[in-house]
Amino acid sequence: MPEIRVTPLGAGQDVGRSCILVSIAGKNVMLDCGMHMGFNDDRRFPDFSYITQNGRLTDFLDCVIISHFHLDHCGALPYFSEMVGYDGPIYMTHPTQAICPILLEDYRKIAVDKKGEANFFTSQMIKDCMKKVVAVHLHQTVQVDDELEIKAYYAGHVLGAAMFQIKVGSESVVYTGDYNMTPDRHLGAAWIDKCRPNLLITESTYATTIRDSKRCRERDFLKKVHETVERGGKVLIPVFALGRAQELCILLETFWERMNLKVPIYFSTGLTEKANHYYKLFITWTNQKIRKTFVQRNMFEFKHIKAFDRAFADNPGPMVVFATPGMLHAGQSLQIFRKWAGNEKNMVIMPGYCVQGTVGHKILSGQRKLEMEGRQVLEVKMQVEYMSFSAHADAKGIMQLVGQAEPESVLLVHGEAKKMGFLRQKIEQELRVSCYMPANGETVTLPTSPSIPVGISLGLLKREMAQGLLPEAKKPRLLHGTLIMKDSNFRLVSSEQALKELGLAEHQLRFTCRVHLQDTRKEQEMALRVYSHLKSTLKDHCVQHLPDGSVTVESILIQAAAHSEDPGAKVLLVSWTYQDEELGSFLTALLKKGLPQTP
Amino acid sequence: MFAAQEDCFEYLQQGQLLLGLFGEAGPLSWAVWSVPTVRSGWIQGLKSLAQHPGGLHFLGDSGAVDALFSLQGDSSLFVASAASQLLVHVLALSMQDKAEGSPSLKGSAWPACAQKIVAHVEASLCSTTALQITQALNVLTTTFGRCHSPWTEVLWGQLSPLVAHLLDSEPVPATHSLVDLLLSVARSPVFASADCTLWETIARMLSCLSPMQTGPLALGTLKLQHCPQALRSQAFGVLLQPLACILRATAQAPGPPGLLDETTQGCSMTVDTLLSSKSACVGLLCQTLAHLEELQPLPQHPLPWPQTLLVEAVVIILRLCDGSAAPSSSEGCRLCGTLAGCIRVQRAALGFLGTLTLGTSSWELVPQVFAILLETLKSPASSPTVLKKAFQAVLHWLLDSPTPPGCSDLGPHTPLFLRELFPVLQKHLCSPCWEVRDSALEFLTHLSMCWGGEANFREVLLASDVPKLAWQLLRDPESYVRASAVTAMGQLSSQGLQAASDSPGHPEVQQGLVGELLHILSVDSEGFPRRAVTRVFTEWLRNSHADVVQDTEWFVATVLQMVSRDLDWEVRAQGLELVQVFLAQTLGQPNPSCPYAVALPKVTPPSPLPEVLRTLCQMQIFDFAFRALFDCDRPVAQKACDLLLFLRNKSAPCSGLQEAGDSSDVASVEATLERWQVGEQGQPLGSLEPEVVLAALRSMDLEGLQSRLAESSDHVEKSPQSLLQDVLATVALLEENVADCY
Repeated sequence: MPEIRVTPLGAGQDVGRSCILVSIAGKNVMLDCGMHMGFNDDRRFPDFSYITQNGRLTDFLDCVIISHFHLDHCGALPYFSEMVGYDGPIYMTHPTQAICPILLEDYRKIAVDKKGEANFFTSQMIKDCMKKVVAVHLHQTVQVDDELEIKAYYAGHVLGAAMFQIKVGSESVVYTGDYNMTPDRHLGAAWIDKCRPNLLITESTYATTIRDSKRCRERDFLKKVHETVERGGKVLIPVFALGRAQELCILLETFWERMNLKVPIYFSTGLTEKANHYYKLFITWTNQKIRKTFVQRNMFEFKHIKAFDRAFADNPGPMVVFATPGMLHAGQSLQIFRKWAGNEKNMVIMPGYCVQGTVGHKILSGQRKLEMEGRQVLEVKMQVEYMSFSAHADAKGIMQLVGQAEPESVLLVHGEAKKMGFLRQKIEQELRVSCYMPANGETVTLPTSPSIPVGISLGLLKREMAQGLLPEAKKPRLLHGTLIMKDSNFRLVSSEQALKELGLAEHQLRFTCRVHLQDTRKEQEMALRVYSHLKSTLKDHCVQHLPDGSVTVESILIQAAAHSEDPGAKVLLVSWTYQDEELGSFLTALLKKGLPQTP
Repeated sequence: MFAAQEDCFEYLQQGQLLLGLFGEAGPLSWAVWSVPTVRSGWIQGLKSLAQHPGGLHFLGDSGAVDALFSLQGDSSLFVASAASQLLVHVLALSMQDKAEGSPSLKGSAWPACAQKIVAHVEASLCSTTALQITQALNVLTTTFGRCHSPWTEVLWGQLSPLVAHLLDSEPVPATHSLVDLLLSVARSPVFASADCTLWETIARMLSCLSPMQTGPLALGTLKLQHCPQALRSQAFGVLLQPLACILRATAQAPGPPGLLDETTQGCSMTVDTLLSSKSACVGLLCQTLAHLEELQPLPQHPLPWPQTLLVEAVVIILRLCDGSAAPSSSEGCRLCGTLAGCIRVQRAALGFLGTLTLGTSSWELVPQVFAILLETLKSPASSPTVLKKAFQAVLHWLLDSPTPPGCSDLGPHTPLFLRELFPVLQKHLCSPCWEVRDSALEFLTHLSMCWGGEANFREVLLASDVPKLAWQLLRDPESYVRASAVTAMGQLSSQGLQAASDSPGHPEVQQGLVGELLHILSVDSEGFPRRAVTRVFTEWLRNSHADVVQDTEWFVATVLQMVSRDLDWEVRAQGLELVQVFLAQTLGQPNPSCPYAVALPKVTPPSPLPEVLRTLCQMQIFDFAFRALFDCDRPVAQKACDLLLFLRNKSAPCSGLQEAGDSSDVASVEATLERWQVGEQGQPLGSLEPEVVLAALRSMDLEGLQSRLAESSDHVEKSPQSLLQDVLATVALLEENVADCY
């Protein structure tokens, strides 16, 4: 039985470490290869032993697809390709290919720096891994091999994020990665055509949430920043170089312009240019408004946001600083935080998730005395705020996407079990689509009914044409033939050709029937009477009286014989082949009625 | 965790706490049992419980082993695998005490728990469902992999007929697991003595499975240290089959059978089987080539190794892939159609071809290998990944290829090949794909590192545009390429191979490269090129590169000035490395890693220490090192600490300096350093006197700092208090923002 099998190695009833194995029509595809931000031991990467059991990785997997550049979707990639040993193709969009190595490098540096890890992937490994990447365009059908094809769709979420359709023959799976169904300030909304896949694998981060209006959150954010700088405080916004940072920059820039504010806003050195560079390069991936206004004004060239220099942190007076990394675990953001933490006038705004163990996580969970390296204790007096600006689809958005794609089944990943359960019920009830939510390591198997191509022999077609009926595209026609399987191919051929090709002898199958008639005449005479009766009844058929006394109509043979027990009765033996079954039945019924009286 | 200790276990038992976790009324009735992580955690718990005899008995009595049997078929792979592992663990532990001292212990005398597990495995092996057989095989594979006590021999004796019986089924079930088991048994030291049944089973398996399935078994068999010769030949034959097929199908005329055919005598594989479907053919060839690549460098690789025919086979495969082969037979044509443009096979073939230089003695092969490699490099259809593999293979063949006897340097074919190679290299340095430009630069770096001194190579390189193009790539839009170009130019310049127009005595151009690299170091927005520059500079200093030697102090000071402001900690750390090399040279530290030291113009003889210290102060090396000592990135601080310790120890016996300088100066420096330590690095140290620096150095607890820095910063996060705070805080936060992710 053909089937689609899905096994999450990560992101099964969990957020983080996305890695989903899909087996479709004999092809094996890995969707995303992420790391878990919450762990720094071997749980940080997916457990690949399940695939390495199946022999060499490169032989087992046909390809790896990365949906976007966030580390929980691509963080394990260099480990997988350079240390576990996958040597096959890796597909991602052009922006993801450009930005992915920057984040991987950042992650590596932090792991090596903070944790002192020696056995970690190196810069060279990241580069070698990126050399295996094949970049794809939106809506471009990419042929991985003769049978497997993939296609990317716009997913919103971050620059270059994509959903992927994976197709083998008539079977297909769509994987959404992370997506956003409402456009934001710099990216558009996710979109997919009505591709009716067998299975839609969707993220479900906000499975139970109908999100409050974004406008409210933004207003709240601006209000807090504004209040702080008004009273002379400094605002630190730890961000990752690319992603939400740009959204917040546009937000602040517009606000500063409108309010005519003069307080300086800074962005970590090097990163503004870098971000600008990528947004310019991939301007087609941003939303319509930005694209339209791009020629007159590049939205990413900010008037109020300047490059930051280390020395600025000691400047007196208010300022707003965007600094990396986003979880305050190292680097510039942590340095600035240490300087500013002691002053209650200042504020730090965390716009995203922080992993346990990071300073970001500690202050968000309310700790005010932090043990720093060198046994120093840092007292946090500044205000700490958390505001989620991550761009995931909410429950409404997920339902909308399922409605758009019209899949046969849905599978939920990248969410929490409880919330997934709720959404599953909703999908099954409202959309009448079966829905699955496997945990990590659990396999979901979906039976499929694949269409199998069958070739028709020219001879058979010609014979059909010879019957005078021209084929019509919209009208199905019945065609008789023999289905043969040879060299793993199916073909419909005439029975003669089938016999010839398969080297088989033909066997004739004949039906026979006895018809009893009360008649005392001799058999010869009887046969003659049958002949003349049929001759007069069946004008269109060829009726013959053979020298041996039998009568034939097409392939049907009729013989008259004496009845063994009743001398006053005769028996007509009627025999026909299956091809003339209709005529045979008709004749038997006719003869059973008896022969006409001789005049 | 509690039950892992015997006394705690007894305490728990007294309270009858443990019974609630097992047996009928136990976990199976819990609602949370449906959560895989709970089942996983339960298994983890059992594992720590089974540490002592009491715990082990308890497991046997409580029915936990039965629960493990059913968990082997768990819906979660991870739970199922953990359950199997635990069964092995329990089996090994229960045998550990009993079996010691009585190696010939019969199966019937084994502990009840072990007997129960073995009986379950036996029953599973006789099952008709493939899943159960797989589970049993996996348990056995782990057992023989982990336990090497004599009882395992008894176990194998008992189970081997059942395992062998599996081969009678059609199709053979669980082939993957069966292969793993046989190899695991064969590798176990317990079976070092010839166990005929094992070899027979392997031989049977090699002959009855498909080539795709037997490949891993054949490779595993050939990697064994001890194994009958006949079996090795059979296994090698299996590996060679597909290549023999290719050679047969593409042979121009039915000539005498080659060595490969003799080796594979009796192998029934035909081209038809190979070509049954495109994906099967590609898969089999890739697997075979990868296996041979793995086997080739091993000391136990089969002898005789049919080197010539293997090279021929790989060359023909590459020709089939790039479409240049013109086989006359119909099978050959079909192969051509199947393999044409197949990148996967091309990559695998190039990988294997690269290793085929090892142990090659026949230099006659070299021209045809060079020809196909050139063809692959020249072909516009070659993908970046194929080109990368081709470059690697070329490197192998250039650097390791055999030379005919009596030929001293590069061999007769190499100069000719190089002349053809460089135009291709030039083309690839201009490729629109960054991957190709980068691979080409990496290739150039490696080659010039090994052959920079070869006259033939120098001549061809300098006559080409390659150095000029490499220079241009210093301004490449892709940072990876810029970094590789920096490394390549650094290498070329060290060997005096910079560009055709610059002769070694042309200082402006040389200065031009230093200037260019300094420019990159100061303005490049990406870390890779800047890191590459500091690495090149350190190498230059270490090897006394002509331009550096001219004014070493100016050079080091200029570089440090730029590096100290760098945002990338690896650049700053590399800067400290540069200082280390500089100090080793100026303070007269013998530097054994400097092979050119003798040959090049004399390194300045060690100057008197006070003078050196004064120079270091003028160069602001202390300023740099102290800043780095309080760097927020740990590796930088660590390196700086080592460096300052070295300086302090070096200057300890210094008699030419006063014990301490002006005390007010010292106090001011110490105050500044304290401010630096808490992150306020705005204020500079100002001009320093050696005496003041030495006093400041002596007053610091550098050893204490060094040991603190040596600990991973994890110790802060992993201290019990920190963890407790996290746990408490997380509980309070649990309901909010948990699902948000960045």
